[in-house]
Amino acid sequence: MNPGQQIWTIAKLELTRVFFSKRSFWVYLLAIFPSVIFLGHALEAHVNKARWGARSTVSAESLNRVQSGMTDEQVIEMLGKPVNDNIRKSRPRRKRDEDPQAEKQPDVRRYMMYFDGKRRVDLRFEDGKLVSRNTRDLLNFEEDRKVYAGMFQFFYLRLGIFFGCLGIFINLFRGEMLDKSLHFWFLAPVKREVLLLGKYLAGLIAASLIFCGGAMASFLSMVLPQDASEVQAFWGSIGPEHAFWYLAAAMLGCVGYGSIFLASGLLLRNPIVPAIVMLLWESINGFLPDAMQKLSVLHYVQSLCPVPVPLPSDMPALLKMLLAPAPPSSVPLAVLGLLALTAMILFVAAQAARRLEINYGTE
Amino acid sequence: MSASHIVFDNVSKFYGEVLGVNRVDLKIPPGITSLVGPNGSGKTTLMNLMTGLVHPNSGVIQVRGISPYAPEKLMKFMGYATQYDSGPRGATGFDFVSTGLLLHGFPKADAERRAWQAIERVGLTAAAKRKVAGYSKGMRQRIRLAQSIAHDPEVLILDEPLNGLDPLVRAETIALFRDYGAAGRHVILSSHVLQEVDVFSDQVILIANGMIVAEGQIKSVREEIHEHPSQYLLHCKDASRVASLLFAESHISEIKLAPEGQGLLVMTRNRDAFSAALERISLSGIDIDGVIPTDENVDALYEYLIGGGR
Repeated sequence: MNPGQQIWTIAKLELTRVFFSKRSFWVYLLAIFPSVIFLGHALEAHVNKARWGARSTVSAESLNRVQSGMTDEQVIEMLGKPVNDNIRKSRPRRKRDEDPQAEKQPDVRRYMMYFDGKRRVDLRFEDGKLVSRNTRDLLNFEEDRKVYAGMFQFFYLRLGIFFGCLGIFINLFRGEMLDKSLHFWFLAPVKREVLLLGKYLAGLIAASLIFCGGAMASFLSMVLPQDASEVQAFWGSIGPEHAFWYLAAAMLGCVGYGSIFLASGLLLRNPIVPAIVMLLWESINGFLPDAMQKLSVLHYVQSLCPVPVPLPSDMPALLKMLLAPAPPSSVPLAVLGLLALTAMILFVAAQAARRLEINYGTE
Repeated sequence: MSASHIVFDNVSKFYGEVLGVNRVDLKIPPGITSLVGPNGSGKTTLMNLMTGLVHPNSGVIQVRGISPYAPEKLMKFMGYATQYDSGPRGATGFDFVSTGLLLHGFPKADAERRAWQAIERVGLTAAAKRKVAGYSKGMRQRIRLAQSIAHDPEVLILDEPLNGLDPLVRAETIALFRDYGAAGRHVILSSHVLQEVDVFSDQVILIANGMIVAEGQIKSVREEIHEHPSQYLLHCKDASRVASLLFAESHISEIKLAPEGQGLLVMTRNRDAFSAALERISLSGIDIDGVIPTDENVDALYEYLIGGGR
């Protein structure tokens, strides 16, 4: 049996345990959370479209003719009965410049909502006059793609894959030490390095399937509910490329974080310590000198993300500093850099595995 | 010579500040070797050292010429039934044994066949498809034994292998050790059941406080213990006459009448002189029906060399 076959045998034996470990069951929740959010968003849009469309729909052209200053009666005459109509009256009071002897009058505000099949338009009337209109698309593909990019970079990579890999990889050795079953592997006729790679491969297959699956599910949950023509145009142009790079970033995130947490499980007893240190390191990556930025998984995987995420200008400065990514590396450099970083970490982990002793009493 | 022996060369192992074993020099030949010593004396540490589960702080270990740092070579011909109860989570007894064989590189069908053979040998066939987590202590002991012998190792190491076994399985297990020993393989085991160890061991290693107190064949170890007189039970009809003749010998330190009139219990400080004296008595026409050494066993060695605390 050559080392490659041994690695594959170990990975196969470990896969079931990794997939169904009670200790890392919460990893699935991290992976499916974005899909739930986008599916919820799509479902809400679908339900609203059906509900509002059943009540009344106006043409987009008619909606565009509505102008400030029009009275509510004029608008109703032009567009018909709104989908929602809400009148609110304040308590009667005198206005500042009114005669003190005059009768107190309530302020009357009226809110009307129209729907043209794709957009909802909210109209606000004060004292019978239109003072503001707010138009919102039920589903806005452009906006949703940016939301997805933000979710992917700030939640999925930084937290989802990060903590998911922590849960999966740190248990490959440390979990077996706690279960007092690691000796079973150490008594097999395999090099410790081969055992390490077999376990890493099992973790990587599991993490990649879970998180690439989660990334794709959430991507499709974002894309498919959009307008059919927009979806078709998207798949005919940049869609496949975006999907590929999101998958690649998720996969390489698992490759990088997996190696770090596998090594942490061998070198440290408490998983909280490497998690905090890594989270801090990844967060301050943007401030670090150029050479130090290369020692970050996030730096490389963010370089692969196809849609940049603009940070809001009104975001607090400290948060902005933490979230702003370092200038991206080129794609080949990002991929090769991450693989080199991973190889380096696995080498260190292999040295630790060679020295590792079975001493369950101290765990 | 070292290619067929297990060699410890000035090996020390500490767990932090706690002593595991200290400056151990051993050369263990093939056959059945028992490690005997009180709890915490270092028996399991010795076994873990020779299997590579722990590494020495100093010194060198070779198992038939292979370093424990090379498990890919060592474990091909070594089986170790540890004291640890746990196996892979959720594994059945059959999985536990067959998985180990897959890691040895046996094709799946061959691994399954060998696994069934080993499980049958320890009498666990009926329970093989049940989860190990639900096994009794004795069953776990047997499944660990099955796993350690499934690949037919040349070196078999067993930590307290007879614990929890019923008498029938115990007898079969001992027969298995004897087969292995007779075939020129190493069987190294630790046990607290000294009477049993005495029956089947080719040699013993007595260990206390992390140090090797004595090693070798039981008889030769006993011969090295000069501070305790050797004890013999003499079966003879005329016990008082024999006793009076023996009292004239300077090497005799004590003579007692054995219980139930079986003969005499004699203590001597010189085995050779005692032999010569018995020969003279026999030649003088007094019948001596039998001479049995009563302290050439592990129990006595343990008592003399280590003392209480078993």
